[in-house]
Amino acid sequence: MKKLTHLIPAAAILLSLSLLAGPLLPGHDRGMYDLDTLARLPVSAGGRTKPLDTVARNSLLIISDRQTATIDGERRSAIRWLIDVMARPNEAGAYQVFRIDHPDVKSLLGNPPANQKRFSFDRIFTHRDTLEQQAALVQTIKKNQRTPFQKRLGELFNHINLYIQLRDWHEPYAVPPLKPGEQWRPLIQEIHGPHDGQVGEQDTAHAPPGPAAASLGNILLAYQNQDPDRFNREVRQYASMLDQRMPDTTRKARFEVFFNRLAPFYQGTVLYVLAFLLICGSLLAVNARSDSLAKGLGRAAVWVIALTFCLHTFGLAARVYMQGYAPVTNLYSSAVFIGWFCVAMGLFLEWLFKNGLGAALAALIGFITLIIAHNLADGDTMQMMQAVLDSNFWLSTHVIAVTIGYAATFLAGFIGISYILMGVYTRALTPDRQKALGKMMYGVIAFALLFSFVGTVLGGIWADQSWGRFWGWDPKENGAVLIVLMNALILHARWGGMVKTRGVAVLAVFGNIITAWSWFGTNMLGVGLHSYGFMDSAVQWMLVFVAIQLAIMSAGLIPVSRWRSFAP
Amino acid sequence: MNKQIKKILAPVASLRLTVVLFALAMVLILVGTVAQKDMGNWAVVNEYFRSLWLWMPIGLGGVRVPFVGGYTIGGLMIVNLLAAHAVRFKLTWKRAGIILTHAGLILLILGEVLTGLFAVEWQIQLDEGKSANFAVDIREVELAVVDPSPADHDNVVVVPQSMLEDRAPGLPISDPQLPFEVQVLRWMPNSAVTGLGMAEPSLRENNPATDGLGKMVIAVPQPRASGVEAGRVDFPAAYIRLSRAGRDLGTWLVTQNLERLGSETRQPVRVGDKTYLIELRFRRDYKPYTITLIDFKHDKFVGTETPKNFSSEIRLVDPTVNEDRTVLIYMNHPLRHRPLNSRGETFYQSGYVGETTTILQVVRNPSWLMPYIACSLVALGLIVHFGAMLWKFVGRTRR
Repeated sequence: MKKLTHLIPAAAILLSLSLLAGPLLPGHDRGMYDLDTLARLPVSAGGRTKPLDTVARNSLLIISDRQTATIDGERRSAIRWLIDVMARPNEAGAYQVFRIDHPDVKSLLGNPPANQKRFSFDRIFTHRDTLEQQAALVQTIKKNQRTPFQKRLGELFNHINLYIQLRDWHEPYAVPPLKPGEQWRPLIQEIHGPHDGQVGEQDTAHAPPGPAAASLGNILLAYQNQDPDRFNREVRQYASMLDQRMPDTTRKARFEVFFNRLAPFYQGTVLYVLAFLLICGSLLAVNARSDSLAKGLGRAAVWVIALTFCLHTFGLAARVYMQGYAPVTNLYSSAVFIGWFCVAMGLFLEWLFKNGLGAALAALIGFITLIIAHNLADGDTMQMMQAVLDSNFWLSTHVIAVTIGYAATFLAGFIGISYILMGVYTRALTPDRQKALGKMMYGVIAFALLFSFVGTVLGGIWADQSWGRFWGWDPKENGAVLIVLMNALILHARWGGMVKTRGVAVLAVFGNIITAWSWFGTNMLGVGLHSYGFMDSAVQWMLVFVAIQLAIMSAGLIPVSRWRSFAP
Repeated sequence: MNKQIKKILAPVASLRLTVVLFALAMVLILVGTVAQKDMGNWAVVNEYFRSLWLWMPIGLGGVRVPFVGGYTIGGLMIVNLLAAHAVRFKLTWKRAGIILTHAGLILLILGEVLTGLFAVEWQIQLDEGKSANFAVDIREVELAVVDPSPADHDNVVVVPQSMLEDRAPGLPISDPQLPFEVQVLRWMPNSAVTGLGMAEPSLRENNPATDGLGKMVIAVPQPRASGVEAGRVDFPAAYIRLSRAGRDLGTWLVTQNLERLGSETRQPVRVGDKTYLIELRFRRDYKPYTITLIDFKHDKFVGTETPKNFSSEIRLVDPTVNEDRTVLIYMNHPLRHRPLNSRGETFYQSGYVGETTTILQVVRNPSWLMPYIACSLVALGLIVHFGAMLWKFVGRTRR
């Protein structure tokens, strides 16, 4: 039986590693074309140099809300879809990629079945007259005044537009700067001249396409003519030419394709769930008085979390390398970072207290934040920073400190939730555990206060450096200062003896609401410099989250004599 | 300390008061943030944070209750803190962290108060090749009455915004320096103008203007702009009746919108045989120095509209300190300059219009250094205090 304590962790690690290795194995829809080399070709989109693979995946993510495309019931990779769109536009029109959820928008496409979610470009094209009429109506209304129907319709038009840009070679900027002074440019411009569409005097004077554009044209032509030998020759020749001319760029592009395949944050989500299940299993084993099983499962959970944490860390580091910015640049990366830091703190608490709670919270928060990140990803999550925010010094000090403050406040809130739920509904909150949880909360809140304060003031100093105003009472700044005040309030209330551990727990749960408000709510207000990502659906989730926190707080306010853990 | 004093100070020094103040501050900031959705950002700052008290809206229905403002809360926090240290705290090594933190906090609050009281912000908008010897305050306008008759200069009399907006209808503004009396018929803190032909008939029929621009366009009130940095500012407008010695000189529309529309901003008013020019413009502050924009550069990321960087190469000429130099101002790299007998001013690259016009933010803030010192003190204090705590705790658990 002793062996279980070693066997289970080993098995769990092996299982995790095999999960990770899966997507790195060669894909199944390779066919005769060397799409792997094609996927690694660097291009420029949204101001960032990235592999064609990323453009394909992100475009699909925007249009279709997933990274694969379906044609005739068959699933195909993103790069296959993109080369079809670019080189065989007539056939590619049959891909069912345009995701439409709103029933009224759907009905514009001739009343399709209610369960169909994705539509082909061909189908949309046959209803173009209806859509164009609607487009003319929607365009007269300001973005923030549109009804949900109009918003969804506006999104669909953007998606169609993106598709056409790809099909007609306006996007991405595929032709690389090979001579000094050159910049990335669209393939169409190089082949048809800068005045495409304007047939006239400019056309004849236009110089022939450069070598890179000619190669790209040949690659697309070979694919169009269904000539795999020529396609493979051309694409490999072009790739090795780029390897010589811009080695740094191609190295980065190759790495990014590896990153896309590994999908560390997606895999991390799965592994955090696995770890959480292992912990639940270990709790059940404790109840069943099977000690070695409980110990084995608990240890396996910690090992899986540690492994996933390494993966999570690798993902963050990889983004820093690819993007060239400090890890937090937008809402998406803040979710990834908050999760990462909570997991780190959870593991640290586990190391200190060894009671399973740190590990459980690490797995849970890791999972939740990565899910949030996954839902925040809309297209490229590594956008370039606009001038005022383009400063790695401040991105790596102010932003990191504030985000750590968010993470720590959330962690304290989740410990508070554990305290209340364990105490009210189970008998698990023993005096020992009460003491341990109280210490955990206190330490984490103190830590949160330090970082949220320093981060907030550093933000003020950045603002003073940038436009001479230390404090502008911007909504996001106010949100940050609310977190500082919340943490300070909890600590002073405890020092003054106004609350004991239970009160700290209830207040810490309220800290979750404050943090969520600061993180997302201020963006929902849509005012101020910091309002970088407004989302409608998030508002509902936010309300749900707040309601849950309030419910837990009121459970925490039930007199202690009625808590199961304190009942005789 | 004297026991009697301690007894009096005790309630002021209580941690209970501290917690209550934190809670009040949170409510104030939360409601203030939500209010920014509908009110101008500066209006919120002045009403909520830089005030002693205010009427705070509670939920829907427009019901308002009195609430403490930022100055009251900040002031009470300082009193509470000082009293607490006087009553309870001793100067020991164990307390060093807390004392450092609290000293820093006092500095921070004082710094914000001083900034609120003494900091001034202006803007300079410049085209390439043009010079300016004044900066404008985009939060305030003034009515300028210009007498262009002297050959080598203009004589300018200005009526500040405070006189325009507070004036009760019917009570004219008169001054020996003004060539006419000004009666404000209607004042709009923010406005938009539309062509008279496109306006609704009811507006057109009730158009108060009888002369000048107001016969072609009509000004419609707008909600005040919100957001600090989004580049949105208020464009005030007013309908004013001018008269001299009881003789009506017409009702005029004056508005800040004109500068934005790029049309002639000054309207001629004939008084007897003399012509004056009137204009509603951002309040000007004339400087002892001159700034010339040599070159404005502005790059975007390839294939996007995202600005990558922008910078202004300017020439600064200040005879008071005998300076004549060329400087490059760009993001996160401001220019600090101090004219003779004046406080230092800092120039920031704040925005741009088109490809060749820069917008510089000019700030005079005598207390700009305080937050830096305050932040260092607080951070150091917290690290000392919590660090010692953690060290002790980890040591005990690990043993």
